[in-house]
Order: sequence, then structure tokens, then C-alpha cells
Amino acid sequence: MSQAMPVESTMRVGAASPEKSPEVAPQRRQGQSVPVGVVNAVKAVVGVVGVLALWELAVLLLRLPEYLMVGPLSAVQEFFARPEYFMENAFITVQEALAGFALGTALGVLCGAVLYYIPAMRHFLYPTLIAIDTIPKVALAPLFIVWFGFGFESKAFVAMAIAFFPLVINTFDGLSSVPNELKELARINRAGRWMQMTKIEFIYALPSIFSGAKISISLAVGGAVVGEFIAGSSGLGYVILLANSQVDLPSMFAAFMVLAAISLIFFFLISVLAQRLLPWRNYSK
Amino acid sequence: MQDQPVISVQDVGMTYRSRDGLENQVLQGCNFDVASGEFVSIVGQSGSGKTTLLKIISGLVKNTAGEVQVRGRDVNEALHDIAMVFQSPVLLPWRNNLDNVMLPMEFRKRATRQSREYGLELLDLVGLGDKAKKYSYELSGGMQQRVAICRALVSHPEILLMDEPFGALDAMTRDSMNIELQRIWQETKRSVLFVTHSIPEAVWLGDRVVVVGDRPGRIIADIKVDLPRLRTKEHRYSDDFARYVAQVESLIGVSGAIS
Repeated sequence: MSQAMPVESTMRVGAASPEKSPEVAPQRRQGQSVPVGVVNAVKAVVGVVGVLALWELAVLLLRLPEYLMVGPLSAVQEFFARPEYFMENAFITVQEALAGFALGTALGVLCGAVLYYIPAMRHFLYPTLIAIDTIPKVALAPLFIVWFGFGFESKAFVAMAIAFFPLVINTFDGLSSVPNELKELARINRAGRWMQMTKIEFIYALPSIFSGAKISISLAVGGAVVGEFIAGSSGLGYVILLANSQVDLPSMFAAFMVLAAISLIFFFLISVLAQRLLPWRNYSK
Repeated sequence: MQDQPVISVQDVGMTYRSRDGLENQVLQGCNFDVASGEFVSIVGQSGSGKTTLLKIISGLVKNTAGEVQVRGRDVNEALHDIAMVFQSPVLLPWRNNLDNVMLPMEFRKRATRQSREYGLELLDLVGLGDKAKKYSYELSGGMQQRVAICRALVSHPEILLMDEPFGALDAMTRDSMNIELQRIWQETKRSVLFVTHSIPEAVWLGDRVVVVGDRPGRIIADIKVDLPRLRTKEHRYSDDFARYVAQVESLIGVSGAIS
């Protein structure tokens, strides 16, 4: 079939797509023959690979010594030299981050809802909450270690403390963005408070809550790592500190890459979940 | 009983008091009635208190003076008889059109199979019967507003309050929505209170045009529109129509709002 095409045939991006003969829609633009998502993904990969290549090249050309800077290749090599070491520690960090994220999300949504629905709480507590939010949560890590010990809990709580605030703010904002007309509609029809919350307000706030969750998940990973910095005997934060003390930059960079991969995967999962749960988001406004 | 007005607005006034103690009188001494099945337009400049008046009648806002009665009862007991259409359709994007129409019945815990069938009938009535399972983002602005009208009618309200429902639509869609609304009104026989700032729209749709002057909002005229029903597009070019429009224009101009 394909040999029937003229030699100087049109260029196609997504080569292997089995689609209708080109003469049906001869002026079809390239962007339409390949899904936009695929095109964007390809662009993103090209960008990442490009930056990594530049980085490797810079290290090579500048002849940086290994105790100052290493290229991505040696980090990857290091990872594959002892993958189970990195993965086991990554698993620990992931558990801490996820526990903190889950707890922070639950509390954050609850707190945002309470602030929204109970004006007195809002007046008394919102300013306080903002004030607490200005404290770098990292600075609280030593305190959590005093409170919760050197184990899993203290790291999870650091992660929680960091993941918490974006969800408070985003839940509150999401609930506040419900149009007045909808509230009036509910009142005219004598909808009860619970009915109004479940049928309108919470669903309305969901996109905003998901945006908050996307911010929080990477913050939670960072929180867990900071916890491990301060009092860890395992986890990627510990791996980084240990490598630091041994001036082992390849290990450090391998840990960085694993961390980035973890955050990206979580971010991606939340995005997919949001698209599944909130399909209307792609269309409305 | 038949002669009793559906809505009776007596000496209604509204004064907001700001935090620094300043009083802002939005409405003063408003009087008018709406008879059963009547279509009454309310026109006035933006900010003249038309919307506040509508919200008082709907029971959403409590008036500070006077009295509003619906079928002889206080508004707050009569909420079930009232439905409202807003300037923006505010449909829920995660519900299909029929489910949006059914929302008030769910609120009232009366979403039965019959009411659902009635919701479908209403969508049919506005020409969207085949769009029941579609979502609002698949509809044009005019279609969305028609769904919102169905949502208002689904609870069998006696009174339909409409707050500039076509204000956000383009001129051509607006004209066809006027024709549509007249038809819906004729077929459902509701009393309609229709707020607009378009004078031709008010005249073309209304059995009466209530003219609201501003600062403070008060009723400066209540004009009976003696044009035949059903009105057609051609009525817009008749001399009678032009005279009514000119009369209302001059009234609003006299109140000093047009500069």
C-alpha cells in the first residue's frame, strides 16, 4: 500500500498510524493526524533529553572534577550499579511522603471546608493560619523529631505539614468560587445545607482541590527528604547525606533523579485521576 | 379569588446600612401587582434596584419596608411557587441537561419518575428534547439559557422571576429567545416578572411595563401594553410599538439617568 505513495510524499509525524488514505483530506494539518497529547509528550521528552545532553556536554567540556560536578550519565551508571539500594530507600521515602500527603490532604480539605462554612472560624483562624504558613515547614522538622522520634512518623509529619496548606487554601478558594446564583437557586428551592454541599459546592471545588493536591504531592516528597536529612537512617534523604559525606556525587545525582521521577509519577497520577473524575474540566471555560 | 393578584408589592422599600452607619436607600415605596398568567416587564437603568426588587419578591432578600405577598401569603411561606432564571445560565458542567433541569426537584426531594418525564417534556417544549443527555459545554449560550428556563419550570412554579435572562446573549439570539419565551409563557401559563434594561424587549414581551427610576429605585410608571398576542417580529416595526418604546425612553430619560 505504502509503495503506491509518490516518492516525495508528505511528511508525517506519527508514522505508524493506520488511517484513511490521504486524498480524503489532502489539506489536513499535521497536528490533526497525531493526537495533541502525543505531540506534547514528544516535545517534553525532546526537551528533557536536550537539557541532559547539554549538561553532560558542559561537564565534559569544562573538565569539571568528579568531586564538584558529574554528568547525568555517571548518575545513571551509579543507579544501575546498585539499583536495589536506591529503590529500597526510595520505597521508604515514598511511604513517608504518601502517608504525609494523605494525612495533609484529608486535614487540609477538612480545614478549608471548616473555614469556609463557619464564618467565626474563618475570622478567628484564617489570619493565624496564614501566619503559621509563613513559617518554613522545614524549620519545624527538628520539633517533629522531638515529638515523634527518629522513625517513620516524624518524616511523615514533616511531609504532612508541608502538604497541608495548599489544600486548605485551594479548598477554601474552590468553595468560594461557587457562583452566587447557584446558592440562590439552592435557597429558592429550599435545599438543605448538606444537599447544597454535596450536590453543588464540593463538586464545584474539586478542580481547585486537585490543583492543590498537585502542588502538595511534590512538596510532601520534599518534606519526607528533609525529615530524613535531620534524623534518618534510611530513605533517599539519608542516601544523599551519606553520599555527601563521602563526596560521592554520582550517588547524590542518582538520588536526585529518583526523587524527580517519584514526584513526576505522582503528579502524573493525580492529573490522570483529575481527568477521569472531572471530565468536564477540559471543556467548560 | 380569581381576582386576587398573584404577586402584590405594597410600599416596598429597601435600605442598606453600611458598616460606617451610612444609609443607602435602594428602593422606595414600590407598588404594583401581577395578575395570574400576566407577563410584566420591569425596565430601568443598571443600578436602579430592579434586581433587588426581584430578589425581595423571591424571598432571597428581606425588604426593610412594605410588604410583598404571593397569593395573599408572605413570600417566605410561598417559596415553592417561585422559580428564578438568572442572567447567566449557571448550569452544572458535570450534569447533563436533563439532570440540570432536575436539580430543583432533587433539592426538594421530589425527583420522581414523573417529574423526570416532565423535565423531558420541558426540554422538548424548548426544542432541546434531543439534547437531554448532552452537557452544557456542547450547547450554545441561547440553548444553555433555555435549559435554565426548563430548570426553573420543572417545579411547576406559579411565578417565574427572570433577571435579565438574555442580557448576555448576542442580539440575534436574543430576538429568537424573546419569541421562544413568549411561546413558552403561552403554553405554560405562568405569571412572569421579567427584568431587563432593554426597552424594546420589555415592551415586546410585556403585558405591562413597570418603569423603575433610580436613586432611590422607585416605580415611575406602570404602562399597559396594548399590542395583540401572539406578537410577531413584525410588531417591532409597528407605530404602536415605537410609541410605547418612545414613551418608556422618555420616562427613563426624565428621571435623569441618561446623560
